[in-house]
Amino acid sequence: MFEGIKRGLLSKLVGGLLRSGVAITLAKGGGKWSYRKENRAFGLWLDFLFDNMKRGFRRERSVAWISAFTPSEIPYAFGLHPILPEVIACLAAHLSVSQHAISVAEQNLYSADLCSFYRCAAGLALGGYLPEPDLIISTSHLCDGAHRFFHNMSHLFGCDHYLIDVPYGSDGRAHAYLVDQLRDVADAIERRTAHHLDGERAAEVLELSNRTRQVMLKINELRRAIPSPFPGSEGMSYVLGMNFSAGGSELGLAFFRALHGVVQGRVNRGEGVIAEEKYRLLWLHHIRPYYPNTIFDILERRGAAVSFEEANHIYWEAMDPRHPLEGLASKMLSNRGCGPIERRIEAILEMAEKYRADGAIHFSHWGCRQSCGGSHMVRDVMRERGIPTLVLDGDGADIGNYSEGQTRTRLEAFIEMLG
Amino acid sequence: MIVSGVDIGSLSSEAVILKDGEMMSYSIIPTGADTQKAARVCMQGALEKAHLQFEDLSATVATGYGRISVPFATRTITEITCHARGAYRLYPRTRTVIDMGGQDSKVISIDTEGRVVDFVMNDKCAAGTGRFLEVMAGALEVDLTEMGERSIRGKNGIVISSMCTVFAESEVISLIAAGCSKNDIIRGLHEAISKRIFTMAGKLRVERPITMTGGVAKNRGIVDALRRLLKTEVLVPEEPQIVGALGAALSAWRFASGGREQ
Repeated sequence: MFEGIKRGLLSKLVGGLLRSGVAITLAKGGGKWSYRKENRAFGLWLDFLFDNMKRGFRRERSVAWISAFTPSEIPYAFGLHPILPEVIACLAAHLSVSQHAISVAEQNLYSADLCSFYRCAAGLALGGYLPEPDLIISTSHLCDGAHRFFHNMSHLFGCDHYLIDVPYGSDGRAHAYLVDQLRDVADAIERRTAHHLDGERAAEVLELSNRTRQVMLKINELRRAIPSPFPGSEGMSYVLGMNFSAGGSELGLAFFRALHGVVQGRVNRGEGVIAEEKYRLLWLHHIRPYYPNTIFDILERRGAAVSFEEANHIYWEAMDPRHPLEGLASKMLSNRGCGPIERRIEAILEMAEKYRADGAIHFSHWGCRQSCGGSHMVRDVMRERGIPTLVLDGDGADIGNYSEGQTRTRLEAFIEMLG
Repeated sequence: MIVSGVDIGSLSSEAVILKDGEMMSYSIIPTGADTQKAARVCMQGALEKAHLQFEDLSATVATGYGRISVPFATRTITEITCHARGAYRLYPRTRTVIDMGGQDSKVISIDTEGRVVDFVMNDKCAAGTGRFLEVMAGALEVDLTEMGERSIRGKNGIVISSMCTVFAESEVISLIAAGCSKNDIIRGLHEAISKRIFTMAGKLRVERPITMTGGVAKNRGIVDALRRLLKTEVLVPEEPQIVGALGAALSAWRFASGGREQ
């Protein structure tokens, strides 16, 4: 009953009162209280999340919507306020308000075959639950639905949409092509808004991002420990949210430093996610279901810890603060999900070895070509290397595509297979 | 040592009792709405046939979608592992198991020691399952047990385009109204279901021999259609519906004897 009241209350707060600073403060306090985590990083994430929304609604600065794979350093370097609709859609699913938002989107002719995160974000936008954008920046890599969604949103809000086309290759020509586009976007933003790419500020943002990256690398090293010191379910939620949203911000650096402290503490104390870790798993793809579900409970009750997630793999090198556009182009091109599937598989195999994975779960999100397209190729290669891999079909934000019984059978059979 | 396995499926429940590794009795009943009751009644039926009391059992493993609601289970194991163990026990050379049950279908790869190495399941759609056939039999006003034989008597040519249970039912009704023979329609349905299973099996490396288990394996029409598509013999146990419960009982034996293989 408590769970129901909590969710109902949070739904109302998020759904109807988000524009109010008082409501946001209450929600933040409620969030911290309801989770009661001995985790300072979690509290910092709540601070970041709610301050981000509050400032967005107050329009203290021009609001830039960015797609999840658009480097967050770009809006910070321009002095813009970033809003990530996909990340907010995850939160909406967690708070059980995504079904309403998805319904609103579908009533407005968004196809049920479109990724549910975009349907949810569209519903939230149409309902006025997201800070309105002054401009939108998205990239073409990984998420196929992104540029169509953001293009539609630019019509809805009457603002500019800058689409950065990330090429398939990653050679010098591809890099130059991407740098040219970033330069064009920078020029356009300078022409159309009061914001410009200040060299000093951009250098500071990239310095911050590089320092954050160093901390993230240290966390990922700590996560090699046996037993697994940090739950993959959390790695795939607020940690990934900060990975997408906070690169190049002071709060982002503070968050990952706090998280490092948490993980280091657990490693020092020999604390594992579960009392008796029998199996170490890798979670593949950038999505997990965010609505209430039992997936990670089922795994953990059977001694299987998600030791690491592909989504938190640090694939990019440190960026040269003196050449921000070049550095940002390199960051995007080095994403192992770009280009041929072999590039991604190579990274997954490295992770499997590094984290001593006994198996992997590849979550295939409904409507996502990236995950559904490559999942069986990934599974076959993993199987050849003796790493059993479960392709778990599902949906990240639409609980209507979740079947508890079928999911339980798949997960339990997979664990039995490992044993 | 006497052990039992109970398989609570969406349409039917089965119980198997083993004594010293050999089957003493089994029971099959419709599951109905109350899975706990089904588990009790089904187990009681198998115990009565074997002239045993519940207290005689050293262990019981529950499987099937209702496995979590069997109050007397010593432990639960998924039907994927249980069908693999049961099929391996009956046909030790089996490398692939196709289980077509009431609400889902599975293709399971097993190794030379009967361990599951990979599996695929149908998605949440009911096509290719016992429930689908049951609904179609209702639409055709044909007894479910006659479906297989009638499909064999049917001729090729009718293509059922929709595999959604609801839409396929409408399609079947339209075909009847258009004067198509029921046997031809039934054959078309069986071929459509078999193609779906064949496609699902293609996601794995299907190795031979193949064993088919689950209630739908009693349907000769489906087995024949699968043989044609897979271009190989498909082994069908004498009573395919109890293979999951047999695998569960073998797991109970293994559990009660401290891990000894059976």
